[in-house]
Formats: sequence, C-alpha cells, structure tokens
Amino acid sequence: MSLRFAGAVRQGVFVLEADVSVEPGEVVALLGPNGAGKSTLLRAVAGLRGVDAGTVTLEQDVLDDAGGSFVPAERRSIGVVFQDHRLFPHLRVVDNVAFGLRSKGIPRATARARAQDWLDRLGLADHAEKRPRELSGGQAQRVALARALAGSPRALLLDEPLAALDVQTRAAVQGELRDHLDGFGGPTLLVTHDPIEALLLADRIVVLEGGRVAQAGTPAEITSRPTTEYVARLVGMNLYSGTAVGTTVALDGGGMLSIAEQHYGPVLVAARPSTLTVHTEQPHGSSARNVWAGTVASLAPLGDRIRLSVTGPPDAFVDVTAVAVAELRLAPGRPVWLSAKATELVSYPAAAGDSARPAP
Amino acid sequence: MRRRTARRPDGGTRPPWLIVPPALIGVVFIVLPTIGLLIRAPWSGLARIYSRSDSSSQIDVGAALSLSAITSLIATAGSLVLGVPLAWVLARTRWPGLSVLRAAVTMPLILPPVVGGLALLLTLGTHGVVGQHLFGWFGWEIPFTRVAIVLAQMFVAMPFLVVTMEGAFRTGDRGLEEAAATLGASRSRTFTHVTLPLVLPSLAAGTVLCWARAFGEFGATMIFAGSVIHHTQTGSTAIWLGFQASTEDAVALSLPMMLIAVLVLALLRDRWLRPGAVS
Repeated sequence: MSLRFAGAVRQGVFVLEADVSVEPGEVVALLGPNGAGKSTLLRAVAGLRGVDAGTVTLEQDVLDDAGGSFVPAERRSIGVVFQDHRLFPHLRVVDNVAFGLRSKGIPRATARARAQDWLDRLGLADHAEKRPRELSGGQAQRVALARALAGSPRALLLDEPLAALDVQTRAAVQGELRDHLDGFGGPTLLVTHDPIEALLLADRIVVLEGGRVAQAGTPAEITSRPTTEYVARLVGMNLYSGTAVGTTVALDGGGMLSIAEQHYGPVLVAARPSTLTVHTEQPHGSSARNVWAGTVASLAPLGDRIRLSVTGPPDAFVDVTAVAVAELRLAPGRPVWLSAKATELVSYPAAAGDSARPAP
Repeated sequence: MRRRTARRPDGGTRPPWLIVPPALIGVVFIVLPTIGLLIRAPWSGLARIYSRSDSSSQIDVGAALSLSAITSLIATAGSLVLGVPLAWVLARTRWPGLSVLRAAVTMPLILPPVVGGLALLLTLGTHGVVGQHLFGWFGWEIPFTRVAIVLAQMFVAMPFLVVTMEGAFRTGDRGLEEAAATLGASRSRTFTHVTLPLVLPSLAAGTVLCWARAFGEFGATMIFAGSVIHHTQTGSTAIWLGFQASTEDAVALSLPMMLIAVLVLALLRDRWLRPGAVS
C-alpha cells in the first residue's frame, strides 16, 4: 500500500468519500466528470487541504489523519503538475526547475546544474534561460513536469496534465509523458476527465462520480465492462441494467434482451454500437435473437461512421456507414428496427448498488 | 458605406462629449496652481532667501529639507517593515474582528493629520498613556524630537502602503504559492521568493505613495514634533513658518520640494507607476 487516500472531504453540500490507492511505479487515473471530486481528492493528497474523515497515507507515513496529525504540503515531498502549470513568471525556466532543490537548501550552483540535467532529459535544454511566458503550452507542461520531478518526490500527482494543450500538442506530449511516467518509480495519480488520456497513460483507472468511486479496474476492464452510464458513454458502449433469469434479461428501463451466458439476478449488459444492426422493416428469419423497434433521434458523424441515437426501449447508439444512412434514408423521427446477436452482448453481474444510473 | 467607429486605429477610445469638459477643467484645476506658484516665485531673490538661514530668521532651508528627506526615508523603511506583513495578515488571514482591525488600521487615511498628531502626543507624550512609562522607566522623551517626526510620518503614511499591499496580496495568484508549497518551500520562503516578487509593482507604487505622504507630512509633525530650527524643522513646517513671515519665503521654500516631487515622478512613472499598479 504505497499512496492511499481513504477518507472523506466535505465542501458545502458536496461530499467526496473514496478509497483510492496507488502502488509504487503504478499510474492510476482518476477519471470523472467535472464536479466529481477529482481535484478535491488530489488537493487532499497534495496537502493543499485537509480531509474531514479518514486518512491520507504514503508508505508508513500518515500524512493526514482527520482531526489528528496533518503534514503540510511543503513537508510531504509529493510532486504536483498543475493543470495551468503554475510556473513562476518571475523566474527563468532553469530556476523554476531548481526551485524545489533550492527550497531543500541545496546550493544554487548544484541546484541549477541538476535542473539543467532535467531540462536536457525533457528536451528543454535550449529554453533554460527563458521566462515561462516565452514558452509554448507543450513546453510549459514539460517544464512543470521537470520541476515536479527535479525534487525527487515520493509520489507524483498530475491534474489534467494535457487539458491546457491544443489538440496537436496533446498528441505529441501524450506519448512522451507516458515514457516519463514509466521512468518515475513512485506512485503516480493522474486526474482527468478525458477517457483517452486515462486509457493511454494509466495502468489502472478509478472512475469517480458524484464524490464516490463508481468503478475501478484496468483500462481493458473499464472499456469492456462499464458499470455506469457515465463510463459506458465515455468508452462508447451501450449499457443496460436488468434482472436475469437464465439467458433472458428483463431491463430496468423496459424491454428484454437475450444473452449468451446464464445469469441470475441483477446484471449489466454492454453492447458495442458497431455490433447492432438497423433495419427499416421488421427483420424475419434473422439469426439475431434480439429484435426491437425504435425511432431515430439523432445522427452524428464519428470517424468514418455515423452514430445513430435510437429511442427504444431500450435506447441504443448504433454505428452505421454513410452509405447505409443514404440507402435506408435514416433521419430523425424515422421508425426503425434494431437487432443484436446474443453472442455480441457482454453480460456481467451488477455489483451491489450498481444500477447503471444515469450520468450526472 | 464606411461607418465611423468609436475605436481609433491606435487603440484609444473617443470620449463621449459628456466626459470632455469636466476632464479639461480637472486638468486645469490641478496644473494651474503649480504654474501660478512658479510664476510668482521670487526667482531673483531666491539666493538671498536661501542663504539667510543663519541670521535672525527661524528657518534653515537646507537643514529642513535634508531632515525631511532623511526622516521620510526612515519612516518609509519602518512602514515597509511593519506595513507589508500587516497587509498580508489583513489580506490572507480569517478571524473574527478582522474587519474592525482593518478599519482601525486604515483610520489615519481619513483622520485629519492634526488629530493624529494630537493622538500621538496624548499617547506617547511624557504624560501620555504609554509615554509616561517610557519616560518613567527609561527616561525616553519622544515629543519634539526627530524620533517624533518619524513616528508622525509613519502614523500618517503607513496606511497608504498597507491599503495598496493588502489589495495586491488579496488579488495575487495563490496557485503559485500552492505550487511553491508542493515543491517543499516553507511558508517564509514562499513569501519572500514567490509572493513578494509577484507584488513588486504594487510594492513600488505603495512605497512611493507612502514616502510622498511622509515627505510632505505637516499636521501631525507640527503638533507632535514642533518646528524648531536645526532640530525638528522639516520642509513642510519650515514653509509654514516662512509663510508667517512673508509669502515670498514660503514660495522659495516650496520650490525645492516641487523639484523633488517632479524628479521622483519622472524617475518612477514609466517603471512602476503604471495605471493598474496600484490595486
């Protein structure tokens, strides 16, 4: 148990209550919509605010014990890369990176030399003498990372590290950020609302919704078996909750689905939009065991496909080709039939309390 | 058809007609008296007035001006030492009674300086609330000394610095201070290496305001320190004494003070006294 937040933070009526731990060398992404409590958790771990209940621990050290001991941020040795970078505008880049070392009492020359090493490592050697305002977004992000890493922190926190960057820079920085995080041996906690960022950078994802952990697992687990509407939408899956008797599931929102595996009790059924088929007439003699009627609500381009939103029950996203849209004359308001093979549906028991709640 | 726009190519904005007359009158009102003083200055007799000091006159121009300069610099330094931390406390801490404290501290801004001088006298005078003990225990006699000048100037001028710096600390970027903390900087190091450098423009503006107020201090100084030649006579109190004798003397004394004001303005204006530097 290396870095662990197990506690609660109250902020007005909002309550964050979670148990999140990160092992050394592991990158955990805290994924969730705005207002889910991600940044609050990060601030509590960093020591920029206290917990109201529970503890924050790093290895054997209790950093915060609600009401008891509280180690302030400056004595936690936890590096933070802020979303807006927060480089000191009055200091040169090299002095920004050396700031943490200087604060530890390391002589100026040594600190600057070590800062220069970090800048070299992150490909910023030429920018050492610049002021932060002369840097591009991507460069500032790397300087912020160098500054956080230069002090050899025991853990690293990143708050939406790529959110402030433009699309092109993001793509470039994402890859190298992964390399740098791999090179850092301590626990790394990453906060993001972008599923791609989480999938690319993290070994494990913790989904936070409304101040609670909604789901936790590896990127593969999260994408194939989402347990909440929010996660399903993030990873582009249709998700249905219902009650299974054998291979038949009565959906909570109305309708029935046939699944391949046998289950009893509350289950979740996930379907990729590309595995559903659209028909303009009720299909007969189809091998698909699930057929239901619906109405096209909207169409949106998605890569080389078009994503239909169909009102059921059950509602579904269906990916079709542009050719199909033209041939079937699909338009909002058009009644359609949907079909899905039982073998294409992924079903798994719902954890107690899971009910594919609507995303906030 | 091209329409005239309100914004000129140079980025300025054409003022609405309602604004122009009062603005012009405002300029005239402020600039004219300065010009008037220059016109009526006894230019030909200046040398005579300035050199008259050691005779029957109760005024020594050189001594008074240098005393003003020295005491106002000491008062400014004292205000910086006490006022900047005080401003930080007012801006950043949260506890009951803070608003009362803030009002009390900024009181000299609206208090007539003469009243301030009287208050200092009744507090620090040899029979004053605190002064009687200072005199009784240590033999310290503050009123009508040069220390009294500095105290009077600080009392009147420090609130200008405090108010300026409080605004700067309040609007400063706390995110940078948080970043410094996560990098292991102690609170003191964060204050000296992050907070203070970032409020430098406001600090410069506040310091100049404070110094200017101290340099020209008259009312509180007159009551608390008097205007004894070669002892507690400052530029401002010398002008008052000179004015008692003749207007010419007062004007002659005013000229060097105007010169100093213009010099300071010219030196600092472009560097620090930009609009917006004073929060």
